[in-house]
Amino acid sequence: MLVFRISSDDSQFPSDESRDEKRLPPMASDQSTQTATYELPLSRERSAETGTGASQRPPPQELLAQNVSWFCQLRWLVIAILVSYGILGLFQGLTTYFGLRPAGLWPFVIAAALTASNLIFMYFARSQTSATMTTINLWGQITADLVTLTAVVYFVGSLETSIAFAYLFHIVVSCVFFGRRQSLMVTLMAIGLFAACIAAEYILKMLPAMSIFAESPFDRNTPSALAVLALNFFLTIAIWIVVWYLTSHLASAVRQREFELAETNRRLVAAQEERSRHMLATTHQLKAPFAAIYSNAQLLQQGYCGELPDEAMQIIQRIAARCRRLTAEIQEMLQLANLSSTGQESLARTTIASTDLLLWCISQVDPIARERSVTIKADLRPVPLVGAEDHFKMLFINLLSNAVIYSHKNGHVNVSCRRGPSAEPVVAIADAGIGIAAAKLPRIFQEHYRTKEAVQHNKESSGLGLAIVKNVAHMYNIRIRVESRLGVGTKFELTFPVPDGREGNTQ
Amino acid sequence: MAYVLIVDDDDDFAHTAAMVLRQEGHDVQIELDTGDASQSMQSKRPDLVVLDVMFPEDASAGFELARSMRHKSENLRDVPIIMLTAINTKFPLGFGAKDIDNDWLPVTDFLEKPVDFDLLRQKVAELLGKPKAAD
Repeated sequence: MLVFRISSDDSQFPSDESRDEKRLPPMASDQSTQTATYELPLSRERSAETGTGASQRPPPQELLAQNVSWFCQLRWLVIAILVSYGILGLFQGLTTYFGLRPAGLWPFVIAAALTASNLIFMYFARSQTSATMTTINLWGQITADLVTLTAVVYFVGSLETSIAFAYLFHIVVSCVFFGRRQSLMVTLMAIGLFAACIAAEYILKMLPAMSIFAESPFDRNTPSALAVLALNFFLTIAIWIVVWYLTSHLASAVRQREFELAETNRRLVAAQEERSRHMLATTHQLKAPFAAIYSNAQLLQQGYCGELPDEAMQIIQRIAARCRRLTAEIQEMLQLANLSSTGQESLARTTIASTDLLLWCISQVDPIARERSVTIKADLRPVPLVGAEDHFKMLFINLLSNAVIYSHKNGHVNVSCRRGPSAEPVVAIADAGIGIAAAKLPRIFQEHYRTKEAVQHNKESSGLGLAIVKNVAHMYNIRIRVESRLGVGTKFELTFPVPDGREGNTQ
Repeated sequence: MAYVLIVDDDDDFAHTAAMVLRQEGHDVQIELDTGDASQSMQSKRPDLVVLDVMFPEDASAGFELARSMRHKSENLRDVPIIMLTAINTKFPLGFGAKDIDNDWLPVTDFLEKPVDFDLLRQKVAELLGKPKAAD
């Protein structure tokens, strides 16, 4: 499947010119005689868009939709406060004790209006998923909230108390969730409503002056009191505007950062994918020449070109052996690269019978075991393993071939599979081979690490096998315990997670 | 004696494989490009095709050729195909016998590069022995 990714990618880029020249299709001969031009497109074109408009970029729609619901929940809190205040007002003694005016009906009326609007908004938030509907819902909520808040501000005491600062909640929240233009709109809407309330109350005197306090600390009709109130009003507005300016500025800076971060992340992911594609292509390029050398060596070896002297034969055997080893090493590098990249997680996980899998893996290492007269004894009980079969094959084949390769001639390897004390699958692979010194045990899973003893015993290894094992183990939360004694043998014990419904968490 | 077509852009490999199969007594033709191979097949139907996957101009040209043989040509539908791959057939990096599929991967068998000539001889002999193996 990966091959297809390469193919789609390759088609975007012209391949090596030298190669292209060689294989012009015969049909196209008249076209190929005409001069054609091709310009390699710049790869950095994308970067132009990052700088501009990012700060104006609204947050993603899902985030807004989430917040629509959050606002609805917050509103229940406001409703609860209003109702509590209304109930408190029913107790005459309490209100007079605190110097308050009996609240009367307004907290209940506003709470009821808020409840009704909140229910409507919640209904829309749940049923409407389109972006425009979410936006309409959000602006509907903001408008309704500001109007309701203005009513509360009027009843609590628009200038006598600090209630007007409650508008700041809306201003700040809109700065965080909207672009600067929209948050300015919210701020201006708040100023407009507050100014209208003040005008109706103090200037036009359309509404009776209201306050929660039983007595106003000063007489509203004296010119000095009016001056204080006017100053309060303009100060309040000025503070809002400053808060809007600061918050929206910071929020857009944060949003810009967030955007850049997401962009960087996207590029990193793309680079990672590109790298693993490149790795696959490189491997193909590397393997092909070795395959060619190997096939030529085989021709000589198998006498297709006549009898060769023994010495020449030995050299050819060495060439062929080295070729095979290099090919195997490239293969391992490729496996490791694919395991390390995240793309491979998409492989389907199935439940695999441990006995079949282990028997298959043992059959794969059987030829090298025969070569070395090593016997493999298996004591397998069926245990289900959950994962990608190919990954487990890699895991077991690497461990089994290590056990065989590092055994002495006529040695034996024991493979067992059973359930542990809490029904977890446990696979153990033990050899009576060269063993590993205690000090070197922690390093054996490192890439390309090989102990001196291992190199002496077997030169043909890349030191990547256990790194592959480590990667598969990490992928499936497999615990590996290594028990070894130099000159006596090594035992790898693998404890798999219990395969129940939780395998989704094992990553 | 059978007529075998080897389609591989690596002429080193193609020539060695041809040498081995000629020694077996087969008539072998080499094509380094799938387009040429397609034309050659039209003029003379091979008894067996040894086909590589990746070609310089198209990394899946081998698949395309196999598919067009199976689906677009009455004459070539039953020709057994051995697909060569430098990608391991055992591990999750490529594909193996289990991926053989009449639509997606309509080949008869796989052979991994570097090719073991004993295995090549064996598979060729097997497939020529039962020409209906294509299904």
